[in-house]
Amino acid sequence: MKHFKLKIVSPEKVLFSEEVSQVSVATTTGQITILANHLPLVSTLAAGEIVIKKDSKNESVMAVAGGLVEVLDQEVVILADRVEYATEIDEERAEEAKKRAELALKEKHLDSEEFAILSANLEKEMNRLRVARKYKMQGIRTGQN
Amino acid sequence: MPQGSNDIKRRIKSVKNTNKITKAMELVSAAKMRKAVARVLSTRTYADLTWETIMHLVKKVDTTKHPFFREEKDVKNVAIVLVSTNRGLCGSFNSQIAQKVIDSIKLHHPEVVKTDIITFGSKGKDEARRRKLNLIADFPKNDITDNSADIHPIVSMLVKDFSQAKYDKVFVAYTDFMSSLKQLPHVKQLLPFSATLDERLGHIIHEKEAEKNNLENISEFKFEPSEEKVLDTFLPRLLEVQLYQAVLESEASEHSARMFSMRNASDAATEMIDELTLIYNQVRQASITAEIAEISAGSAALE
Repeated sequence: MKHFKLKIVSPEKVLFSEEVSQVSVATTTGQITILANHLPLVSTLAAGEIVIKKDSKNESVMAVAGGLVEVLDQEVVILADRVEYATEIDEERAEEAKKRAELALKEKHLDSEEFAILSANLEKEMNRLRVARKYKMQGIRTGQN
Repeated sequence: MPQGSNDIKRRIKSVKNTNKITKAMELVSAAKMRKAVARVLSTRTYADLTWETIMHLVKKVDTTKHPFFREEKDVKNVAIVLVSTNRGLCGSFNSQIAQKVIDSIKLHHPEVVKTDIITFGSKGKDEARRRKLNLIADFPKNDITDNSADIHPIVSMLVKDFSQAKYDKVFVAYTDFMSSLKQLPHVKQLLPFSATLDERLGHIIHEKEAEKNNLENISEFKFEPSEEKVLDTFLPRLLEVQLYQAVLESEASEHSARMFSMRNASDAATEMIDELTLIYNQVRQASITAEIAEISAGSAALE
């Protein structure tokens, strides 16, 4: 399988910079999978997961809070607002953060801008939780087989 | 003891006190510098990559699609965001960046006052006022900018003014952090996003070193959901990232500059103490010698 270079950076750090064979991301228009020689593309990311495959065995999953994906000739760059490995998400704390976001959304009388920010936060936290749980379940399954 | 030696003693004491203060400030700055440098280095890749993305987009998209690409042939109104510090005692840090601003204005316009200055940091405000620049807005700066939310007000003002064609060009003046020994005042064009940037302003080395992607194989980008939508969402964000990075670079530079000027002050104080101690000892010895001479002269007269 042909490989291409994938870079994933967030404002905090460079999370990933390696040769991979495929990557799946959630754009605002839907899930896409990028293989080598994909046509040049620029798209916005939704809160969702990034699944990277180096070969048929190695797969890593990340939760991303939004950002931009840029597909160049032999390189894919993901500029994420916030991104972390599914294995690194602390599920309890993500749950707490989600509850906080929900609570804030319920309690306050908000103007439309605050409401948009809070519901975006809630969406991001829920996404982290979703990715973490999904990854965990998969991990257990493969462990049993 | 003659009066002179007491005066010298007093001076030595006061220099010693100053030395203590500058030493302490050096240590504080060193700690702050480490933090600021760690932050600037961690976001630098991200900022450089977003800058590269801008450069890719500029070459490949229809530049009439978004106001941020609007380029005027006849540049009339220019705004410069001046990133400076809140506190002094950092050597020529603020005056250097102010001088750089004036130099770069002169490249565009002979009359300095025609350019609007937006300051971020109170020392920059003072410099701008002293040099009689046309200061139109001053945004308060925290000592440590740890969140890009701090620069939101500036970004939204720039976006609004540029979209309404109040300005034809917007620059940011900041101090680029090369190393803890070297910081370079630098003026960078923020808006419009342009493929042909003003070469006269010079480029920053770590930006130039960023690997060049081969764009020749790419005829056109595909945009999802649509070109307008992607540009609308992302250009303001890219702008914010650039400005935020400039602020972080400035902060890392500020603390390094302060640490070094404090180190210089401590060194100078130590030197001064040594010199004064030498003079004090000489004066003391001279007075002792004089006293002995007087006593022996007195006893010689009695014999």
